[in-house]
Amino acid sequence: MRRRLNRRRLNEQPTDINITAFMNLMVILVPFLLITAVFSRITVLELNLPAAAAQEQNIQQPKFDLEIIVRDAGIEVGDRNGGLMKRFPLTAAGYDFEQLSQLLQQIKARFPDKLDATLLLEADINYDTLVQVMDRVRVARVVVTGSVQSAELFPEISIGDAPAGVKVASK
Amino acid sequence: MRMSRRAQRMDRKHKRGKTVLGINLVSLMDIFTILVFFLLVNSSDGEILPSHKSVTLPESVSEEQPRQTVVIMINPESVMIYGEVIASVQSILQEAGTTSPSLQAALMKELDHARAKQHGAVPVRMEATIMGDREIPYQLLKKVMATVTVAGYQRVSLAVLQKPLEGI
Repeated sequence: MRRRLNRRRLNEQPTDINITAFMNLMVILVPFLLITAVFSRITVLELNLPAAAAQEQNIQQPKFDLEIIVRDAGIEVGDRNGGLMKRFPLTAAGYDFEQLSQLLQQIKARFPDKLDATLLLEADINYDTLVQVMDRVRVARVVVTGSVQSAELFPEISIGDAPAGVKVASK
Repeated sequence: MRMSRRAQRMDRKHKRGKTVLGINLVSLMDIFTILVFFLLVNSSDGEILPSHKSVTLPESVSEEQPRQTVVIMINPESVMIYGEVIASVQSILQEAGTTSPSLQAALMKELDHARAKQHGAVPVRMEATIMGDREIPYQLLKKVMATVTVAGYQRVSLAVLQKPLEGI
């Protein structure tokens, strides 16, 4: 009895699911999705634009106006009313973004409510540098209990022209 | 002629082996299934901004999603709106004043297009996205941005490639 049962099981053909249709679907779907897949995600940076007419209005208020001036020779951080706070000269490896980020974090600690900053650039600073500086002004990278997080600094950035001549005076 | 028991056994075994033979697709199926789900999830957000080979976007940690806007592309040679060349960089930089009249005319045409298509009383919030090559100088960017503002757009965004936060 036991022997017969065993033999029947051996004779049984293992039934296969017919997966041909599924395979066809996969073969079509995989290349299609691979082609349409986007591996580099594009995001945007928002800018604060004054309306073309109302450019020179809110200058009167005597308060702290953070200014970051990007020059060929380095980055200057200052207050529009109080003058220059610190200069970061150009290093061998380019602009000193690390120091800039640290100073901006200190300023943020002193003025926690401040959200806006003005970025002033010289005429031939390239776009990549502009975006790099904007990144450092917008957010700072902080390490909280071992994990990297972003801390908001001054996300409302306006862009303008760097004033000329200060370069020589501060040297 | 009657076969020996051994011959019968071998015969049976042989037959069984032959019928089961086939390509083993299990691992292939596994890969495909995982790949399809991964790609489906990955491609859920459609690409809004067009990309162009001549424009290398700078990298930023920004997480803001792009919206459907007028797209101005600036590569080191020319300025384009929706991929259509409007003016060369040289001619824009040589134009006197802070704005560029040729670019402004093209931008205002886009604005009129959008106004004509729009229906209902809600005013269109005109936005523009600038996709600039990372090498373009600030004076060119400034001129384009000033032109965009003068042409009547209320908001300008700069398109960037997203990079992880560890990069800054």
